[in-house]
Amino acid sequence: MTVAVTASHERRFALALFLPALVVLVLTTTAPLVYLAWTSLMRIDLSMPFLSGFAGVANYVKMGSDPRFWNSLVLTVIYTASTVVLQVVIGVSLALLVLRIPKGQGVARVAAILPIVLAPVVVGLFWRTLVLAPDVGLVDVGLRALGLDSRNWLGDPQLALVSVIAIHTWQWTPFAFLVILASLSSLPPDVFEAARIDRANAWQRFVHITLPLIRPAVIVVIIMRMMVALSAFAAIFAATGGGPGTATEILNLYAYRTSFSELNLGYGASLAMVLLAITVAVSFLLFRLRRAR
Amino acid sequence: MSRRPLRTAAWAILTALLLAVWVVPVAWGLLTSLKTERDVLAYPPRVIFEPTLANYRDVLFGSASILPNLASSLIVTIAATAATMLFAIPAAYALARLDLPGKRSSGFYVLATQMLPPVGLIIPYYLILQKLGGLDTYAGLSTIYLTFSLPFAIWLMVSYFEDIPREMEEAALLDRAGRLRALWHVILPQARGGIAVTTIFVFLNAWNEFLFAVVLGGNRVRPVTVAMYNFISVEQTLWAKLAAGAMVAMAPVILLGLLAQRHIVKGLTVGAVKGGGRT
Repeated sequence: MTVAVTASHERRFALALFLPALVVLVLTTTAPLVYLAWTSLMRIDLSMPFLSGFAGVANYVKMGSDPRFWNSLVLTVIYTASTVVLQVVIGVSLALLVLRIPKGQGVARVAAILPIVLAPVVVGLFWRTLVLAPDVGLVDVGLRALGLDSRNWLGDPQLALVSVIAIHTWQWTPFAFLVILASLSSLPPDVFEAARIDRANAWQRFVHITLPLIRPAVIVVIIMRMMVALSAFAAIFAATGGGPGTATEILNLYAYRTSFSELNLGYGASLAMVLLAITVAVSFLLFRLRRAR
Repeated sequence: MSRRPLRTAAWAILTALLLAVWVVPVAWGLLTSLKTERDVLAYPPRVIFEPTLANYRDVLFGSASILPNLASSLIVTIAATAATMLFAIPAAYALARLDLPGKRSSGFYVLATQMLPPVGLIIPYYLILQKLGGLDTYAGLSTIYLTFSLPFAIWLMVSYFEDIPREMEEAALLDRAGRLRALWHVILPQARGGIAVTTIFVFLNAWNEFLFAVVLGGNRVRPVTVAMYNFISVEQTLWAKLAAGAMVAMAPVILLGLLAQRHIVKGLTVGAVKGGGRT
Protein backbone atom coordinates (compact mmCIF):
# COMPACT_ATOMS: atom_id res chain seq x y z
CA MET A 1 0.00 0.00 0.00
CA THR A 2 2.59 2.52 1.05
CA VAL A 3 4.79 1.41 -1.83
CA ALA A 4 2.02 2.10 -4.35
CA VAL A 5 1.35 5.48 -2.82
CA THR A 6 4.99 6.52 -2.97
CA ALA A 7 5.27 5.21 -6.53
CA SER A 8 2.39 7.32 -7.81
CA HIS A 9 3.65 10.21 -5.75
CA GLU A 10 7.03 9.87 -7.43
CA ARG A 11 5.42 9.85 -10.87
CA ARG A 12 3.56 13.05 -10.12
CA PHE A 13 6.71 14.65 -8.81
CA ALA A 14 8.63 13.53 -11.91
CA LEU A 15 5.96 14.98 -14.19
CA ALA A 16 5.97 18.26 -12.33
CA LEU A 17 9.71 18.53 -12.90
CA PHE A 18 9.64 17.50 -16.54
CA LEU A 19 6.49 19.21 -17.84
CA PRO A 20 7.75 22.82 -17.86
CA ALA A 21 10.66 21.88 -20.14
CA LEU A 22 8.37 19.77 -22.31
CA VAL A 23 5.93 22.64 -22.74
CA VAL A 24 8.78 24.97 -23.72
CA LEU A 25 10.11 22.47 -26.25
CA VAL A 26 6.70 21.83 -27.79
CA LEU A 27 6.04 25.55 -28.09
CA THR A 28 9.46 26.46 -29.46
CA THR A 29 10.17 23.48 -31.72
CA THR A 30 7.15 21.36 -32.55
CA ALA A 31 4.60 24.16 -32.96
CA PRO A 32 6.91 26.16 -35.30
CA LEU A 33 7.47 22.97 -37.32
CA VAL A 34 3.76 22.58 -37.88
CA TYR A 35 3.62 26.23 -38.85
CA LEU A 36 6.54 25.69 -41.25
CA ALA A 37 4.70 22.82 -42.93
CA TRP A 38 1.65 25.05 -43.30
CA THR A 39 3.77 27.94 -44.63
CA SER A 40 5.29 25.64 -47.24
CA LEU A 41 1.79 25.28 -48.72
CA MET A 42 1.35 29.03 -48.98
CA ARG A 43 2.49 31.67 -51.35
CA ILE A 44 4.05 34.32 -49.12
CA ASP A 45 5.97 36.87 -51.13
CA LEU A 46 6.90 39.85 -49.00
CA SER A 47 7.86 41.86 -52.06
CA MET A 48 4.42 41.24 -53.59
CA PRO A 49 2.12 40.76 -50.57
CA PHE A 50 -1.07 41.06 -52.66
CA LEU A 51 -0.24 37.72 -54.28
CA SER A 52 -0.10 35.84 -50.97
CA GLY A 53 -2.51 33.01 -50.38
CA PHE A 54 -2.93 29.26 -50.25
CA ALA A 55 -0.92 27.54 -52.96
CA GLY A 56 -1.31 23.83 -52.21
CA VAL A 57 1.69 21.81 -53.31
CA ALA A 58 2.71 24.41 -55.92
CA ASN A 59 5.95 25.16 -54.08
CA TYR A 60 6.94 21.50 -54.13
CA VAL A 61 6.05 21.13 -57.79
CA LYS A 62 8.14 24.19 -58.57
CA MET A 63 11.18 22.55 -56.95
CA GLY A 64 11.19 19.75 -59.51
CA SER A 65 12.02 22.13 -62.34
CA ASP A 66 14.20 24.50 -60.32
CA PRO A 67 17.84 23.98 -61.34
CA ARG A 68 19.00 26.08 -58.41
CA PHE A 69 17.31 23.63 -56.02
CA TRP A 70 18.98 20.60 -57.61
CA ASN A 71 22.30 22.43 -57.59
CA SER A 72 21.91 23.13 -53.86
CA LEU A 73 21.02 19.49 -53.23
CA VAL A 74 24.14 18.23 -55.01
CA LEU A 75 26.28 20.77 -53.17
CA THR A 76 24.77 19.68 -49.85
CA VAL A 77 25.72 16.07 -50.55
CA ILE A 78 29.26 17.00 -51.64
CA TYR A 79 29.74 19.35 -48.71
CA THR A 80 28.39 16.95 -46.07
CA ALA A 81 30.14 13.84 -47.38
CA SER A 82 33.53 15.46 -47.95
CA THR A 83 33.66 17.37 -44.67
CA VAL A 84 32.65 14.31 -42.64
CA VAL A 85 35.14 11.99 -44.38
CA LEU A 86 37.95 14.54 -44.05
CA GLN A 87 37.22 15.15 -40.38
CA VAL A 88 37.17 11.45 -39.55
CA VAL A 89 40.30 10.56 -41.53
CA ILE A 90 42.36 13.51 -40.32
CA GLY A 91 40.96 13.24 -36.80
CA VAL A 92 41.83 9.54 -36.46
CA SER A 93 45.29 9.98 -38.00
CA LEU A 94 46.13 12.90 -35.80
CA ALA A 95 44.92 11.12 -32.68
CA LEU A 96 47.14 8.13 -33.50
CA LEU A 97 50.05 10.49 -34.11
CA VAL A 98 49.57 12.36 -30.85
CA LEU A 99 49.43 9.10 -28.91
CA ARG A 100 52.89 8.29 -30.19
CA ILE A 101 54.50 11.36 -28.71
CA PRO A 102 55.40 10.90 -25.06
CA LYS A 103 54.93 14.54 -24.07
CA GLY A 104 52.83 17.45 -25.19
CA GLN A 105 49.45 15.75 -25.41
CA GLY A 106 48.07 18.45 -23.16
CA VAL A 107 49.29 21.13 -25.57
CA ALA A 108 47.64 19.27 -28.44
CA ARG A 109 44.34 19.23 -26.60
CA VAL A 110 44.45 22.95 -25.92
CA ALA A 111 45.35 23.71 -29.55
CA ALA A 112 42.40 21.60 -30.66
CA ILE A 113 39.95 23.46 -28.47
CA LEU A 114 40.74 26.81 -30.08
CA PRO A 115 38.82 26.39 -33.39
CA ILE A 116 35.90 24.61 -31.74
CA VAL A 117 35.00 27.45 -29.39
CA LEU A 118 35.12 30.17 -32.06
CA ALA A 119 31.86 31.40 -33.56
CA PRO A 120 31.50 29.94 -37.07
CA VAL A 121 30.65 33.38 -38.45
CA VAL A 122 33.94 34.75 -37.12
CA VAL A 123 35.80 31.77 -38.57
CA GLY A 124 34.20 32.48 -41.96
CA LEU A 125 35.20 36.14 -41.79
CA PHE A 126 38.73 35.28 -40.71
CA TRP A 127 39.23 32.91 -43.61
CA ARG A 128 37.67 35.29 -46.09
CA THR A 129 40.13 38.02 -45.17
CA LEU A 130 43.31 36.91 -43.42
CA VAL A 131 43.63 33.34 -44.68
CA LEU A 132 42.23 33.17 -48.21
CA ALA A 133 42.51 36.73 -49.51
CA PRO A 134 44.38 36.86 -52.84
CA ASP A 135 48.10 37.68 -52.51
CA VAL A 136 48.22 38.73 -48.85
CA GLY A 137 46.20 35.91 -47.25
CA LEU A 138 48.11 33.25 -45.31
CA VAL A 139 47.53 30.56 -47.95
CA ASP A 140 48.72 32.71 -50.83
CA VAL A 141 51.70 33.93 -48.87
CA GLY A 142 52.64 30.28 -48.39
CA LEU A 143 52.10 29.48 -52.08
CA ARG A 144 54.11 32.47 -53.22
CA ALA A 145 56.92 31.59 -50.85
CA LEU A 146 57.03 28.19 -52.57
CA GLY A 147 57.15 29.93 -55.93
CA LEU A 148 53.57 29.06 -56.88
CA ASP A 149 50.90 31.38 -58.21
CA SER A 150 48.37 32.99 -55.95
CA ARG A 151 44.76 32.09 -56.58
CA ASN A 152 41.37 33.63 -56.13
CA TRP A 153 40.20 31.13 -53.53
CA LEU A 154 36.74 32.52 -52.93
CA GLY A 155 36.17 34.14 -56.32
CA ASP A 156 36.57 31.07 -58.52
CA PRO A 157 33.47 28.82 -58.35
CA GLN A 158 35.29 25.49 -57.98
CA LEU A 159 37.94 26.81 -55.61
CA ALA A 160 35.23 28.48 -53.55
CA LEU A 161 33.57 25.12 -52.91
CA VAL A 162 36.93 23.62 -51.95
CA SER A 163 37.51 26.61 -49.69
CA VAL A 164 34.27 26.36 -47.74
CA ILE A 165 34.87 22.62 -47.30
CA ALA A 166 38.35 23.43 -46.00
CA ILE A 167 36.97 26.03 -43.60
CA HIS A 168 34.46 23.59 -42.11
CA THR A 169 37.10 20.86 -41.90
CA TRP A 170 39.51 23.25 -40.20
CA GLN A 171 37.03 24.26 -37.56
CA TRP A 172 35.57 20.86 -36.72
CA THR A 173 38.33 18.25 -37.20
CA PRO A 174 39.47 19.00 -33.63
CA PHE A 175 36.12 17.59 -32.48
CA ALA A 176 36.82 14.26 -34.18
CA PHE A 177 40.40 14.36 -32.95
CA LEU A 178 39.45 14.96 -29.31
CA VAL A 179 36.73 12.30 -29.23
CA ILE A 180 38.93 9.67 -30.92
CA LEU A 181 41.89 10.58 -28.73
CA ALA A 182 39.76 10.13 -25.61
CA SER A 183 38.61 6.76 -26.92
CA LEU A 184 42.15 5.63 -27.80
CA SER A 185 43.53 6.74 -24.45
CA SER A 186 41.04 4.57 -22.63
CA LEU A 187 42.17 1.37 -24.41
CA PRO A 188 44.35 -1.05 -22.47
CA PRO A 189 47.95 -0.91 -23.83
CA ASP A 190 48.49 -4.69 -23.58
CA VAL A 191 46.20 -5.23 -26.59
CA PHE A 192 48.76 -3.51 -28.78
CA GLU A 193 51.67 -5.27 -27.13
CA ALA A 194 50.15 -8.66 -27.91
CA ALA A 195 49.71 -7.71 -31.55
CA ARG A 196 53.26 -6.43 -31.76
CA ILE A 197 54.56 -9.75 -30.49
CA ASP A 198 52.44 -11.43 -33.15
CA ARG A 199 54.46 -9.43 -35.67
CA ALA A 200 51.47 -7.71 -37.10
CA ASN A 201 52.56 -4.64 -39.04
CA ALA A 202 51.28 -1.17 -38.23
CA TRP A 203 48.50 -1.21 -40.83
CA GLN A 204 47.29 -4.69 -39.78
CA ARG A 205 47.31 -3.62 -36.15
CA PHE A 206 45.25 -0.56 -37.04
CA VAL A 207 42.66 -2.39 -39.14
CA HIS A 208 42.24 -5.49 -37.00
CA ILE A 209 42.69 -4.17 -33.50
CA THR A 210 42.53 -0.40 -33.14
CA LEU A 211 39.71 0.31 -35.55
CA PRO A 212 37.22 -2.22 -34.12
CA LEU A 213 37.98 -0.93 -30.63
CA ILE A 214 37.40 2.74 -31.46
CA ARG A 215 34.49 2.00 -33.79
CA PRO A 216 31.81 3.24 -31.36
CA ALA A 217 33.63 6.56 -31.02
CA VAL A 218 34.05 6.84 -34.80
CA ILE A 219 30.34 6.24 -35.31
CA VAL A 220 29.46 8.88 -32.73
CA VAL A 221 31.73 11.30 -34.58
CA ILE A 222 30.14 10.48 -37.93
CA ILE A 223 26.61 10.95 -36.60
CA MET A 224 27.31 14.24 -34.90
CA ARG A 225 29.39 15.65 -37.72
CA MET A 226 26.74 14.80 -40.33
CA MET A 227 24.11 16.59 -38.30
CA VAL A 228 26.30 19.67 -37.93
CA ALA A 229 27.35 19.64 -41.60
CA LEU A 230 23.69 19.44 -42.62
CA SER A 231 22.89 22.52 -40.59
CA ALA A 232 26.05 24.46 -41.52
CA PHE A 233 25.31 28.05 -42.30
CA ALA A 234 27.22 30.89 -40.66
CA ALA A 235 30.76 30.13 -41.86
CA ILE A 236 29.73 29.80 -45.50
CA PHE A 237 27.44 32.78 -45.22
CA ALA A 238 30.32 34.89 -43.92
CA ALA A 239 32.97 33.55 -46.31
CA THR A 240 31.09 33.48 -49.63
CA GLY A 241 27.42 34.17 -48.93
CA GLY A 242 26.69 31.14 -51.13
CA GLY A 243 28.58 32.57 -54.08
CA PRO A 244 30.18 33.28 -56.40
CA GLY A 245 26.80 32.91 -58.08
CA THR A 246 25.45 29.73 -56.55
CA ALA A 247 28.81 27.90 -56.35
CA THR A 248 28.65 27.33 -52.58
CA GLU A 249 24.90 27.60 -52.13
CA ILE A 250 24.08 24.47 -50.14
CA LEU A 251 20.41 23.87 -49.34
CA ASN A 252 20.64 25.90 -46.10
CA LEU A 253 21.95 28.91 -47.94
CA TYR A 254 19.39 28.57 -50.71
CA ALA A 255 16.48 28.36 -48.26
CA TYR A 256 17.84 31.39 -46.41
CA ARG A 257 18.44 33.47 -49.53
CA THR A 258 15.01 32.60 -50.94
CA SER A 259 13.33 33.58 -47.69
CA PHE A 260 15.25 36.60 -46.51
CA SER A 261 16.95 38.08 -49.59
CA GLU A 262 14.31 37.35 -52.20
CA LEU A 263 11.58 37.52 -49.52
CA ASN A 264 9.77 34.50 -50.91
CA LEU A 265 8.94 32.87 -47.58
CA GLY A 266 6.51 30.29 -48.94
CA TYR A 267 9.03 28.74 -51.29
CA GLY A 268 11.75 29.12 -48.68
CA ALA A 269 9.58 27.14 -46.26
CA SER A 270 9.18 24.29 -48.73
CA LEU A 271 12.97 24.19 -49.22
CA ALA A 272 13.36 24.10 -45.43
CA MET A 273 10.91 21.16 -45.34
CA VAL A 274 13.16 19.23 -47.74
CA LEU A 275 16.15 20.01 -45.55
CA LEU A 276 14.22 18.76 -42.56
CA ALA A 277 13.21 15.56 -44.34
CA ILE A 278 16.86 14.91 -45.26
CA THR A 279 17.98 15.47 -41.67
CA VAL A 280 15.32 13.15 -40.28
CA ALA A 281 16.11 10.45 -42.86
CA VAL A 282 19.86 10.66 -42.25
CA SER A 283 19.54 10.56 -38.46
CA PHE A 284 17.12 7.65 -38.68
CA LEU A 285 19.53 5.70 -40.90
CA LEU A 286 22.51 6.47 -38.71
CA PHE A 287 20.78 5.40 -35.53
CA ARG A 288 19.63 2.20 -37.22
CA LEU A 289 23.22 1.60 -38.23
CA ARG A 290 24.32 1.94 -34.62
CA ARG A 291 21.65 -0.37 -33.29
CA ALA A 292 22.32 -2.99 -35.94
CA ARG A 293 25.86 -3.41 -34.74
CA MET B 1 58.92 4.09 -28.15
CA SER B 2 61.71 5.60 -26.13
CA ARG B 3 64.02 3.05 -27.72
CA ARG B 4 63.97 5.09 -30.91
CA PRO B 5 64.32 8.72 -29.90
CA LEU B 6 64.91 9.90 -33.49
CA ARG B 7 61.66 8.46 -34.73
CA THR B 8 59.78 9.84 -31.77
CA ALA B 9 61.20 13.28 -32.51
CA ALA B 10 60.09 12.97 -36.13
CA TRP B 11 56.56 12.09 -35.04
CA ALA B 12 56.54 14.99 -32.61
CA ILE B 13 57.58 17.44 -35.32
CA LEU B 14 54.93 16.12 -37.71
CA THR B 15 52.29 16.41 -35.00
CA ALA B 16 53.38 19.94 -34.16
CA LEU B 17 53.11 20.94 -37.83
CA LEU B 18 49.58 19.59 -38.05
CA LEU B 19 48.54 21.30 -34.83
CA ALA B 20 50.03 24.53 -36.12
CA VAL B 21 47.37 24.53 -38.84
CA TRP B 22 44.85 25.25 -36.08
CA VAL B 23 46.87 27.70 -34.08
CA VAL B 24 48.48 29.77 -36.83
CA PRO B 25 45.33 31.42 -38.28
CA VAL B 26 44.25 32.51 -34.82
CA ALA B 27 47.74 33.70 -33.90
CA TRP B 28 47.86 35.50 -37.25
CA GLY B 29 44.60 37.23 -36.35
CA LEU B 30 46.11 38.36 -33.07
CA LEU B 31 49.18 39.75 -34.86
CA THR B 32 46.99 41.49 -37.46
CA SER B 33 44.94 43.14 -34.75
CA LEU B 34 48.12 44.86 -33.54
CA LYS B 35 49.12 46.20 -36.97
CA THR B 36 48.29 49.37 -38.82
CA GLU B 37 46.07 48.81 -41.86
CA ARG B 38 49.06 49.64 -44.07
CA ASP B 39 51.18 46.90 -42.49
CA VAL B 40 48.35 44.41 -42.94
CA LEU B 41 48.45 44.63 -46.72
CA ALA B 42 52.26 44.65 -46.99
CA TYR B 43 53.94 41.93 -49.00
CA PRO B 44 55.92 40.04 -47.88
CA PRO B 45 53.88 40.12 -44.67
CA ARG B 46 55.56 41.76 -41.73
CA VAL B 47 56.11 39.56 -38.74
CA ILE B 48 58.19 42.24 -37.08
CA PHE B 49 56.41 45.56 -36.89
CA GLU B 50 55.61 48.29 -34.46
CA PRO B 51 52.57 47.03 -32.56
CA THR B 52 49.71 49.43 -31.98
CA LEU B 53 46.63 49.26 -29.81
CA ALA B 54 44.84 51.79 -32.03
CA ASN B 55 42.57 49.12 -33.53
CA TYR B 56 41.37 48.02 -30.12
CA ARG B 57 40.81 51.64 -29.11
CA ASP B 58 38.80 52.13 -32.29
CA VAL B 59 36.57 49.07 -32.06
CA LEU B 60 35.90 49.69 -28.39
CA PHE B 61 35.58 53.47 -28.16
CA GLY B 62 35.49 54.74 -31.75
CA SER B 63 32.45 55.84 -33.72
CA ALA B 64 31.54 52.25 -34.66
CA SER B 65 32.15 50.89 -31.17
CA ILE B 66 31.19 47.25 -30.58
CA LEU B 67 30.53 47.86 -26.88
CA PRO B 68 26.74 48.09 -27.42
CA ASN B 69 26.93 44.79 -29.33
CA LEU B 70 28.88 43.14 -26.55
CA ALA B 71 26.20 44.34 -24.14
CA SER B 72 23.54 42.97 -26.47
CA SER B 73 25.29 39.58 -26.61
CA LEU B 74 25.65 39.56 -22.86
CA ILE B 75 21.95 40.28 -22.22
CA VAL B 76 20.66 37.69 -24.70
CA THR B 77 23.18 35.07 -23.61
CA ILE B 78 22.66 35.48 -19.88
CA ALA B 79 18.87 35.52 -20.20
CA ALA B 80 18.89 32.44 -22.43
CA THR B 81 21.38 30.59 -20.22
CA ALA B 82 19.48 31.30 -17.02
CA ALA B 83 16.16 30.21 -18.52
CA THR B 84 17.75 27.11 -20.02
CA MET B 85 19.23 25.94 -16.73
CA LEU B 86 15.99 26.69 -14.87
CA PHE B 87 14.04 24.34 -17.15
CA ALA B 88 16.80 21.83 -17.86
CA ILE B 89 17.89 20.89 -14.33
CA PRO B 90 14.52 19.60 -13.04
CA ALA B 91 13.70 17.95 -16.37
CA ALA B 92 17.06 16.20 -16.50
CA TYR B 93 16.69 14.97 -12.94
CA ALA B 94 13.28 13.51 -13.76
CA LEU B 95 14.71 11.78 -16.84
CA ALA B 96 17.79 10.48 -15.05
CA ARG B 97 16.42 9.36 -11.73
CA LEU B 98 12.67 9.35 -11.35
CA ASP B 99 9.85 7.11 -12.50
CA LEU B 100 8.75 9.48 -15.24
CA PRO B 101 5.79 8.18 -17.26
CA GLY B 102 6.80 7.73 -20.91
CA LYS B 103 10.44 8.19 -20.08
CA ARG B 104 11.81 6.55 -23.20
CA SER B 105 9.77 8.56 -25.65
CA SER B 106 10.29 11.75 -23.66
CA GLY B 107 14.04 11.29 -23.83
CA PHE B 108 13.86 10.58 -27.52
CA TYR B 109 11.69 13.63 -28.11
CA VAL B 110 14.24 15.87 -26.40
CA LEU B 111 17.01 14.34 -28.49
CA ALA B 112 15.04 14.76 -31.72
CA THR B 113 14.43 18.44 -31.06
CA GLN B 114 18.17 18.90 -30.75
CA MET B 115 18.69 17.65 -34.30
CA LEU B 116 16.44 20.17 -36.02
CA PRO B 117 18.42 22.31 -38.45
CA PRO B 118 18.10 25.99 -37.47
CA VAL B 119 17.46 27.08 -41.05
CA GLY B 120 14.34 24.89 -40.96
CA LEU B 121 12.98 26.82 -37.99
CA ILE B 122 13.97 30.37 -38.78
CA ILE B 123 11.07 31.02 -41.17
CA PRO B 124 8.28 30.19 -38.68
CA TYR B 125 10.16 32.03 -35.92
CA TYR B 126 10.31 35.12 -38.09
CA LEU B 127 6.63 34.99 -39.01
CA ILE B 128 5.48 34.20 -35.46
CA LEU B 129 7.63 36.85 -33.79
CA GLN B 130 6.52 39.37 -36.38
CA LYS B 131 2.89 38.71 -35.45
CA LEU B 132 3.63 38.88 -31.71
CA GLY B 133 5.76 42.01 -32.05
CA GLY B 134 8.77 40.05 -30.82
CA LEU B 135 11.25 40.91 -33.57
CA ASP B 136 14.27 42.88 -32.37
CA THR B 137 13.44 42.26 -28.70
CA TYR B 138 15.58 40.61 -26.05
CA ALA B 139 12.67 38.47 -24.87
CA GLY B 140 12.04 37.18 -28.39
CA LEU B 141 15.62 36.28 -29.24
CA SER B 142 16.46 34.72 -25.86
CA THR B 143 13.32 32.58 -26.00
CA ILE B 144 14.30 31.30 -29.45
CA TYR B 145 17.75 30.43 -28.11
CA LEU B 146 16.06 27.91 -25.81
CA THR B 147 15.29 25.79 -28.87
CA PHE B 148 18.88 24.69 -29.25
CA SER B 149 20.20 25.15 -25.72
CA LEU B 150 17.45 23.38 -23.77
CA PRO B 151 17.68 19.91 -25.40
CA PHE B 152 21.47 20.07 -25.18
CA ALA B 153 21.43 21.14 -21.52
CA ILE B 154 18.89 18.47 -20.57
CA TRP B 155 21.00 15.68 -22.07
CA LEU B 156 24.23 16.92 -20.58
CA MET B 157 22.65 17.27 -17.14
CA VAL B 158 21.13 13.77 -17.41
CA SER B 159 24.63 12.35 -17.80
CA TYR B 160 25.83 14.23 -14.72
CA PHE B 161 22.84 13.23 -12.58
CA GLU B 162 23.45 9.60 -13.50
CA ASP B 163 26.95 9.84 -12.06
CA ILE B 164 25.67 10.64 -8.58
CA PRO B 165 25.48 7.53 -6.40
CA ARG B 166 21.88 6.49 -5.69
CA GLU B 167 22.61 5.89 -2.03
CA MET B 168 22.95 9.61 -1.52
CA GLU B 169 19.36 10.39 -2.38
CA GLU B 170 18.00 7.22 -0.79
CA ALA B 171 19.56 8.27 2.49
CA ALA B 172 18.02 11.71 2.13
CA LEU B 173 14.60 10.23 1.39
CA LEU B 174 14.72 7.88 4.40
CA ASP B 175 15.37 10.98 6.39
CA ARG B 176 11.85 12.00 5.39
CA ALA B 177 13.35 15.06 3.82
CA GLY B 178 10.78 15.08 1.04
CA ARG B 179 11.70 14.79 -2.61
CA LEU B 180 12.05 18.46 -3.36
CA ARG B 181 14.25 19.02 -0.33
CA ALA B 182 16.32 15.98 -1.22
CA LEU B 183 16.81 17.42 -4.71
CA TRP B 184 17.71 20.83 -3.38
CA HIS B 185 19.92 19.90 -0.42
CA VAL B 186 21.48 16.63 -1.54
CA ILE B 187 21.38 16.19 -5.30
CA LEU B 188 22.06 19.71 -6.54
CA PRO B 189 25.14 20.25 -4.39
CA GLN B 190 26.46 16.92 -5.72
CA ALA B 191 25.79 18.02 -9.29
CA ARG B 192 27.48 21.42 -8.87
CA GLY B 193 30.35 20.59 -11.20
CA GLY B 194 28.01 19.30 -13.88
CA ILE B 195 25.81 22.37 -13.58
CA ALA B 196 28.85 24.63 -13.96
CA VAL B 197 30.09 22.81 -17.06
CA THR B 198 26.62 22.76 -18.63
CA THR B 199 26.18 26.47 -17.95
CA ILE B 200 29.51 27.20 -19.65
CA PHE B 201 28.58 25.25 -22.80
CA VAL B 202 25.11 26.77 -23.00
CA PHE B 203 26.64 30.23 -22.63
CA LEU B 204 29.25 29.46 -25.28
CA ASN B 205 26.71 28.24 -27.85
CA ALA B 206 24.39 31.18 -27.25
CA TRP B 207 27.24 33.68 -27.50
CA ASN B 208 28.36 32.24 -30.85
CA GLU B 209 24.90 32.04 -32.40
CA PHE B 210 24.51 33.96 -35.65
CA LEU B 211 21.57 32.88 -37.85
CA PHE B 212 18.77 33.61 -35.36
CA ALA B 213 20.45 36.83 -34.30
CA VAL B 214 20.83 38.20 -37.82
CA VAL B 215 17.22 37.42 -38.81
CA LEU B 216 15.36 38.04 -35.55
CA GLY B 217 17.51 40.89 -34.20
CA GLY B 218 17.68 44.41 -35.52
CA ASN B 219 18.89 47.86 -34.55
CA ARG B 220 18.19 47.38 -30.88
CA VAL B 221 19.17 43.75 -30.41
CA ARG B 222 22.38 43.23 -32.35
CA PRO B 223 24.74 40.67 -30.81
CA VAL B 224 28.44 40.92 -31.51
CA THR B 225 28.43 38.08 -34.07
CA VAL B 226 26.07 40.11 -36.25
CA ALA B 227 28.13 43.25 -35.68
CA MET B 228 31.27 41.45 -36.93
CA TYR B 229 29.45 40.34 -40.06
CA ASN B 230 28.08 43.83 -40.74
CA PHE B 231 31.53 45.29 -40.19
CA ILE B 232 33.06 43.35 -43.07
CA SER B 233 30.15 44.19 -45.38
CA VAL B 234 30.65 47.91 -44.79
CA GLU B 235 34.41 48.13 -44.27
CA GLN B 236 35.70 45.61 -46.79
CA THR B 237 39.36 46.37 -46.26
CA LEU B 238 39.78 47.33 -42.62
CA TRP B 239 41.13 43.94 -41.60
CA ALA B 240 43.15 45.06 -38.62
CA LYS B 241 40.02 46.48 -37.03
CA LEU B 242 38.07 43.35 -37.95
CA ALA B 243 40.76 41.24 -36.30
CA ALA B 244 40.75 43.41 -33.18
CA GLY B 245 36.96 43.20 -32.99
CA ALA B 246 37.06 39.44 -33.46
CA MET B 247 39.66 39.08 -30.70
CA VAL B 248 37.49 41.06 -28.29
CA ALA B 249 34.31 39.22 -29.33
CA MET B 250 35.91 35.79 -29.02
CA ALA B 251 37.91 36.40 -25.82
CA PRO B 252 35.04 35.26 -23.55
CA VAL B 253 34.45 31.98 -25.37
CA ILE B 254 38.15 31.19 -25.66
CA LEU B 255 38.54 31.72 -21.91
CA LEU B 256 35.46 29.62 -21.11
CA GLY B 257 36.62 26.90 -23.51
CA LEU B 258 39.99 26.68 -21.80
CA LEU B 259 38.30 26.69 -18.41
CA ALA B 260 36.09 23.73 -19.37
CA GLN B 261 38.67 21.96 -21.53
CA ARG B 262 38.69 18.73 -19.53
CA HIS B 263 34.94 18.39 -20.04
CA ILE B 264 34.79 19.37 -23.68
CA VAL B 265 34.64 15.84 -25.11
CA LYS B 266 31.67 14.99 -22.92
CA GLY B 267 29.99 18.27 -23.79
CA LEU B 268 30.46 17.71 -27.50
CA THR B 269 29.21 14.16 -27.69
CA VAL B 270 26.26 14.36 -25.33
CA GLY B 271 23.15 12.70 -26.71
CA ALA B 272 24.83 10.73 -29.45
CA VAL B 273 26.72 8.62 -26.94
CA LYS B 274 23.51 7.34 -25.45
CA GLY B 275 21.76 7.31 -28.79
CA GLY B 276 18.29 8.31 -27.72
CA GLY B 277 15.68 6.61 -25.60
CA ARG B 278 16.72 5.17 -22.31
CA THR B 279 14.94 2.64 -20.19
